[in-house]
Amino acid sequence: MKLDRRTFIKGAGASTAGCMLASLPGSIAALGAGPVSGSAKHVASICEMCSTRCPISARVVNGQNVSILGNDKAKSYGGAVCARGGAGHSLLYDKQRIVKPLKRVGERGEGKWQEIDWQEAYETIAKNLNRIKQQHGAESVAFSSKSGSLSNHFFHLAKAFGSPNTFTHATTCPGGYVVAAKAMFGSKAKRDLGNSKYIINFGHNLYEGINMTETRGLMKAQSDKGAKLVVFEPRFSIVADKADEWYAIKPGTDIAVALSICHVLIRDNLYDREFVEQYVEGFDDFAKEVEAYTPQWAEAICDVPAEDIRRITHELAAAAPHAVVDFGHRATFTTEEFELRRALFAANVLIGNIERKGGLYFGKKAKNYNKFAGEMAAPVLAKPGVKNLPKIEAKRIDMVDEQYALIWSSGGIYQSILTAALEAQPYQLRAWVMSRTNPMQTMTDRAKVVEALKAMEFVVACDVYISESAAYADIILPESTYLERDEEIADKSGKNPAYYVRQQVVDTIGDTKPSWLIWQELGHQLGLSQYFPWENMQTLQLFQVDKDAALLSKIKQDGWVSFGKPLMLREPSMVKAFTAQYPNAKPVDADGTYASQLSFKTPSGKIELSSSKVEKMAPGRGVIKYREVTMKKADELFFIQGKVAVHTNSATHNVPMLANLMSNNGVWIHPVTAGHLKITSGDKVRIYNDTGSEEGHALVTPGIRPDTVFAYMGFGSKNKELSRATGRGVHCGNLLPHVISPVTGMNLHTTGVKIAKL
Amino acid sequence: MTKRYVLVHDENKCIGCQACNVACRSENNVPESVTRIQVRIEGPHGNFPNLHFKYNRVSCEQCENAPCVKVCPTGAAYVADDGIVSINEKKCVGCLYCVAACPYKVRFINPDTKVPDKCDFCKKTRLARGESPACVSVCPTDALCFGDANDPQSEVSQLLDTKTNYQQKANLGTQPRVYRIPSRKGGIKA
Ligand code: SF4
Ligand code: SF4
Ligand code: SF4
Repeated sequence: MKLDRRTFIKGAGASTAGCMLASLPGSIAALGAGPVSGSAKHVASICEMCSTRCPISARVVNGQNVSILGNDKAKSYGGAVCARGGAGHSLLYDKQRIVKPLKRVGERGEGKWQEIDWQEAYETIAKNLNRIKQQHGAESVAFSSKSGSLSNHFFHLAKAFGSPNTFTHATTCPGGYVVAAKAMFGSKAKRDLGNSKYIINFGHNLYEGINMTETRGLMKAQSDKGAKLVVFEPRFSIVADKADEWYAIKPGTDIAVALSICHVLIRDNLYDREFVEQYVEGFDDFAKEVEAYTPQWAEAICDVPAEDIRRITHELAAAAPHAVVDFGHRATFTTEEFELRRALFAANVLIGNIERKGGLYFGKKAKNYNKFAGEMAAPVLAKPGVKNLPKIEAKRIDMVDEQYALIWSSGGIYQSILTAALEAQPYQLRAWVMSRTNPMQTMTDRAKVVEALKAMEFVVACDVYISESAAYADIILPESTYLERDEEIADKSGKNPAYYVRQQVVDTIGDTKPSWLIWQELGHQLGLSQYFPWENMQTLQLFQVDKDAALLSKIKQDGWVSFGKPLMLREPSMVKAFTAQYPNAKPVDADGTYASQLSFKTPSGKIELSSSKVEKMAPGRGVIKYREVTMKKADELFFIQGKVAVHTNSATHNVPMLANLMSNNGVWIHPVTAGHLKITSGDKVRIYNDTGSEEGHALVTPGIRPDTVFAYMGFGSKNKELSRATGRGVHCGNLLPHVISPVTGMNLHTTGVKIAKL
Repeated sequence: MTKRYVLVHDENKCIGCQACNVACRSENNVPESVTRIQVRIEGPHGNFPNLHFKYNRVSCEQCENAPCVKVCPTGAAYVADDGIVSINEKKCVGCLYCVAACPYKVRFINPDTKVPDKCDFCKKTRLARGESPACVSVCPTDALCFGDANDPQSEVSQLLDTKTNYQQKANLGTQPRVYRIPSRKGGIKA
């Protein structure tokens, strides 16, 4: 078989990936499941095959199949759905899906399971957790979860139980840019790619790591508006292929280009002086720091020609303010993540693209939007709060170092579980409750994660599969998939307020439950009933809309309801359309915008290009600065990873339809490097370093720098329960060292490796 | 035949994400081991750093002059009134002449029905309900366009009139009704 990139998409005649473990207890294979039943009419709902959560429209076809399409009421999604979203039904009735609670019967991680009923599961969990709480305090139990709707009820349980230790996957994926944005703007920022005329991208692989609105926005800008796209990335990805200019930048040196762009903007006087004067704090310190970061300086570090950096910066400035430097997503290229993401935001601030078309903007939720409109333009959803939750005295395990304060409220430092479990720092963790999270793949240093799980007295996992992490649980709770459950109304506001809701399409398969119900029932069993006053999802939804049944039914019917007109405060045409719609709208400034209303939740109320608050938290980091980092040893190759369009990070590799599309990750290696090592495409190779060793196969391609190797993440699972994914490809987390980046708390995604032919 | 359904695949806009592949499977109950459509990402071609991928849609070309129809002894492979190259399962005797004759290698035996199968523009499923083909309606980047090329106002007609396009293996004289807009090296052309 010829091995090139195309063979990852298997052709006709390929056999179904994976063999069946017909006897896996608790699975559909073991228990059987009847024909699929549910709504034959399209139901509007929300996808959950990745974390973007696109609006979908789904229905059961002839009791055989579920058709899942996009919901075309949501305009920016265009009725589209990606391969993962379209394959949701393949997970739903996968024979290997777990549909009955399980308890471990062998050693932890040994893979011996026994089916039990829900009551036994709840009793076992309550008995163990309450015992640990009594003996060691509630804080010795960690709760970690995929973020979003799944974490709300789960973290509520944690609070009611009394533990401060709740974690999301933020520090293993998107936390870096969130923390940087909070430090500079006081809140998260969004990008308006669709209206941009010039886009600079540092390996934010939107054409493979698909986020529907942003992917569509980027394509719209490129194909409809003729926007120019410049990509800096060590690998020739799809986004690099679609770029007007691609620079195979040296891994981990993006910050040098970013700072150099800022240098040129200031030195060549291309920056928006007025904007900076009005909105920015700490410009002078920043300007002084970037004086040294010339394009020549950057060229020596990153292999990008100085002249190109200068020219690109001039082009960017010429297209400003309808231009953007994309601040990225999952990618802790180096431990200098905080500085890199701030440098990227800084370039945007300097060109004054904030709240301008094609630039950066801030979400317009109903409350804020209504203030501008001078009327109830959009309904405000009520938040069900529970009074008298126990006061938690114990500090979080990641609260040892104040420099991480910005991440605590956004999900904490997930990896700190390892230190607390293995070294009792700052105190001993004894139990771990996980909900739809797979640290075995998303954290670094897999061996340590295994150790930490083994060190626990008690582990619970709520999931749809026996994931690599769930494989180490004492009790597994089978969750209903998103196609089988109702949830609260969710806020998806962008430039104007918008709501949507997840609704059940298919009758529940097997003995599974929606996670909100699982945590509520467990709450009762733990003796915490007083903190769970709601009866069901319907009660909660009605509460959210303040009993406005008509509104609720509209949201349910359409699945996506948006209000008013898109608004960017400094964009004259948008402000004009907005004030025309709302006669009582706030008066506009002399220039026809709401520029004077733009404010930031930072200590100075301005954008903090340099920050004394950060300086206090992390001395030396108040001003954005370049620091040299060592990513690898001299005789090693850089190792980088990325996302692919048919899989989600750590979650979908066992889904039959998606496994059939791609079940393995070849290790990309440049022909010259491969030649030295006598490796040809398809060869079995070992890829190893001080952290771990993995076996895979080589994919020799010119689409990678000679000093770098690449693999798509999420493959090479190691527990026998995920039979379609196990042992296929290299497991990236097994090669990445356990390192925590300053301020952001991020784990690390670049390291050095050696390769040998087997 | 008043309609002339064609499909345009804009390789410029295609990102090889396989959403079309998956949607087609669900909509037409295509078994896992076979496929009506896939988009192959081929390459990268060229020399570092001047590289490019090719996004090759592999599906029935809906030939106007279809070899599969010509060789079929029973009329099971036929051109319907709408111009779509179709399959009448009842007439099929399983001789596999059509599978052998297709120069694009896109006909396969459906392991469930044991009859040749291929893309039919979702004729029996979505077109019958007045919807556009599954691949077209889900494509995240709007790389696919479907419609009646006999109607000069249709989007496909406009596209074919204004954009450079080609058909695969046009030299064979099969006259495919799948048109492709080639990708421009180094960026997407507006
Ligand atoms: S869905 Fe569209 S972008 Fe994705 S592979 Fe198919 S044609 Fe290409
Ligand atoms: S592509 Fe093949 S199957 Fe399709 S019409 Fe042409 S010859 Fe027939
Ligand atoms: S037109 Fe229908 S049958 Fe043909 S490839 Fe697209 S989805 Fe499949």
